[in-house]
Amino acid sequence: MTQLFLSIRKLRKAFGAFTAVHDVTLDIPKGEFLTFLGPSGSGKSTTLYAIAGFQDPTSGDVLLQGKSLLSVPSHKRNIGMVFQRYTLFPHLSVAENVAFPLRVRRRPEADVKRKVADMLSLVRLESFAERLPAALSGGQQQRVALARALAYDPPILLMDEPLSALDKKLREEIQAEIRRIHRETGVTVLYVTHDQEEALHLSDRIALFRDGRIEQIGTGEDLYLRPATEFVAGFIGNSNFLAAEHLESENGTASVRLADGSIVKGVKATHKLERGQKARLMVRPEAFRMRPVEGNASLTVEIVDMAFFGDRRRVVVRTGWGDEIDARPISDSTDRSNVGAVAGRQIFFDPAAAFLFPAEQGA
Amino acid sequence: MLLDYDRLGWLKVALLAFTALAAAFLLLPVIFIVLLSFGSSRWLAFPPPGWTLRWYQELFADPSWIEAALTSARIATTTAILAVVIGLLASFALVRGQFRGREVLRGLLLTPMVLPVVVFAIAIYAFFLRLGLGGTTIGFVIAHTVLALPFAMIPIATALEGFDKSIEDAAIVCGASPLEAKLRITLPSIRIGVFSAAIFSFLASWDEVVVAIFMASPTLQTLPVKIWGSLRSDLTPVIAAASSLLVALTLALMIVTALLRRKLQT
Amino acid sequence: MSVEAKQGIAPLRIPAGLGGLLPALILIGLFFVVPVLALLLRSVTDPAPGLQNYAALLGDVTYARVFFNTFLVALVVTIVTVLVAFPVAWMLAIMPATLASVLFGIIILSMWTNLLTRTYAWMVLLQRTGVINRTLMGAGIIDQPLPLINNLTGVTIGMVYIMLPFMILPLVGTLRAIDPMTLRAAALCGASPLAAFRRILLPLSLPGIAAGGLMVFVMSLGYFVTPALLGGTSNMMLAEMIAQMIQSLLNWGLGSAAAFILLVVTMALYALQLRLVGVRRSTGGA
Repeated sequence: MTQLFLSIRKLRKAFGAFTAVHDVTLDIPKGEFLTFLGPSGSGKSTTLYAIAGFQDPTSGDVLLQGKSLLSVPSHKRNIGMVFQRYTLFPHLSVAENVAFPLRVRRRPEADVKRKVADMLSLVRLESFAERLPAALSGGQQQRVALARALAYDPPILLMDEPLSALDKKLREEIQAEIRRIHRETGVTVLYVTHDQEEALHLSDRIALFRDGRIEQIGTGEDLYLRPATEFVAGFIGNSNFLAAEHLESENGTASVRLADGSIVKGVKATHKLERGQKARLMVRPEAFRMRPVEGNASLTVEIVDMAFFGDRRRVVVRTGWGDEIDARPISDSTDRSNVGAVAGRQIFFDPAAAFLFPAEQGA
Repeated sequence: MLLDYDRLGWLKVALLAFTALAAAFLLLPVIFIVLLSFGSSRWLAFPPPGWTLRWYQELFADPSWIEAALTSARIATTTAILAVVIGLLASFALVRGQFRGREVLRGLLLTPMVLPVVVFAIAIYAFFLRLGLGGTTIGFVIAHTVLALPFAMIPIATALEGFDKSIEDAAIVCGASPLEAKLRITLPSIRIGVFSAAIFSFLASWDEVVVAIFMASPTLQTLPVKIWGSLRSDLTPVIAAASSLLVALTLALMIVTALLRRKLQT
Repeated sequence: MSVEAKQGIAPLRIPAGLGGLLPALILIGLFFVVPVLALLLRSVTDPAPGLQNYAALLGDVTYARVFFNTFLVALVVTIVTVLVAFPVAWMLAIMPATLASVLFGIIILSMWTNLLTRTYAWMVLLQRTGVINRTLMGAGIIDQPLPLINNLTGVTIGMVYIMLPFMILPLVGTLRAIDPMTLRAAALCGASPLAAFRRILLPLSLPGIAAGGLMVFVMSLGYFVTPALLGGTSNMMLAEMIAQMIQSLLNWGLGSAAAFILLVVTMALYALQLRLVGVRRSTGGA
């Protein structure tokens, strides 16, 4: 049993007839890096705002070490936050921005000076102390925002898509920085993003949001290798979905019939399915092979396009019944098939890396 | 949180109450004048002891009021047309042109707006006395056009700055002459600005008091001069009646503006 | 093809543009610059060449009182206008759009209504037997009518009424340009509403307050109509004095000199205001 730290209890937030968050319940142990991942409008930011105190939830509770935060105004919650947009105070220097939370707490000047210096060295911006925010790049501004949010040693740090305004290279650089700072400070982080790569890179655990509910929560590995639903499988990583008919299942593995009548045995199935039920078979692109491997299932396909990406190839193939599959097999020097020339070729995949989900209504 | 309307709590109540008071402060004198213009008290008692249309009858029975209004309308309309045409030409030059001293020229053309009117009033008064233009319609129109030009130029220049010139260039590449492109492409695109310019320059002349007081002659009086003269003698309710008609005109202009804006923007 | 097109456009643009400035330049040059310069010339030539008009203006206690009074009124009007305008602009910047459009409608109506009409309304409201005094006396709050007109009180009320829209509208722009997230960040950093106001909201709106306040101050300095109708003889303002010197006393030299002083002060403050707005642009845009 982990120490009870931050708990979200049946949190619900409705805007008129629209419910943005449906009874979300979560426990976050101290020191964890938890990411709320999901498409826009899935309720992840709304949940974060309820923790920050920017919006009152319709019902439910947020508890920090057993005490409800809801009646505490934002400025007394002692929570750190980094925002999507740069929210540095434009009229204050970098050092004064970082000092701001300490000044409003009336800390002695010597403490403020020392803490500001510590924080600026934490984010490696010591030499920028006297600059105004407008003279900083976007990445530097977000690092100052991080220093400001951590200056008063808050037990929780909220980050609301802090890197979404930055370009890719800078994003990766600051991701590394955030990992290091999390390691060094041990602060509990709640991180909101819609970028699955960012979530996988940073988090201890990921809570995947969909339509105001948590679809699955677990480590990145859990979500990638053991997706609970078709939505999770589709959202995390790239996936191919093949229409299939469920035949029978036992101990979490199932056999299915594909549209061309071929039968695949031994695919993973966590959902309960009836015999003959319409289902969708998910196969990751990298699970495909161009050459037969012992125990692999095979598909007869036509190669539409093939491109070389160094360690992997990208092969787009079309099944006999018209589904397109994006395959990323490991490059093989002996394999140089010509595009389009080979109808009736076979590609192979490990059934143990394929997941069966019930076909969603309307899907 | 101070800029989140829904998160202000009691502060919002206090600020809204204050705002409502300020709105009442801005609105009440206008409403009040309209009410008094229908009140039967010659001494403008409030609430009025009874209601009457007498002051409107007196107003319309006095040819000097009608004539002053017509004079004002004539001068303001001419001024608006002149100010918009001159302002359009100048705005094109200032917004499109790339030449030295552009900012200085823009500043010069906008100066009549910031110079205290009384300084300009006595300057143009003295000047027109020498030219023999004092107390003439032409003199009024010239002086008012000087004052109205900044009010015409600002909305036109703003609209023009927001207009992508490459669209006009595209029309020229399509075969339109530069003038044709301006008339058929650019002008319709900035019509909201031109329309605002017309309203503002009309009002700048229609409401102008200071120059008018100096320039007016016994035979040529604008409406503000007529009101000014009456105000100095006594606060007769006839002024309230005239004022109410001016308020009605303002409201009509506002409604027309709002409707046209909505229509032009879609 | 593209070269041809370019040749077709480029030579036409610049000469046509400069030509467009001609009517405006003739109008402003001939009927604004020349008359104002002639007036200034008159201040040092009428009745005799020399600076005696300025010496008279600056050396006389009566005139000094008018100068002092003008600055006092402008200052009081500016301060009151800023204090009233800020909360209104604040609410206008963040309130729901429908409510805001009603409020904007009221502001525009007041702003577009004839200046004399508005001043007349205040004359009626503020006079000895006016509505305000009668209401207060009827309610038993006062025994004697308050002196609300023909003094500083009357001028301040009337001028604040006229200047409010000029302060509110630009201030709404300034406040809307501030990211509400910045204030949320301040709150999470631990700033109480008062601290967030004092340390963040107020400093960030200061450029707007300064620019708007300076504009109101400059406009008030040269205002003629409202002080003339609502002010008293004992606290005459500069514009009214200039008008009197010319119209009643026919003292062109003295009037021109006073006008020149007003012009110099106004233009200097206007230049300062342009600098303020410029500074705000350069810091905000970087």
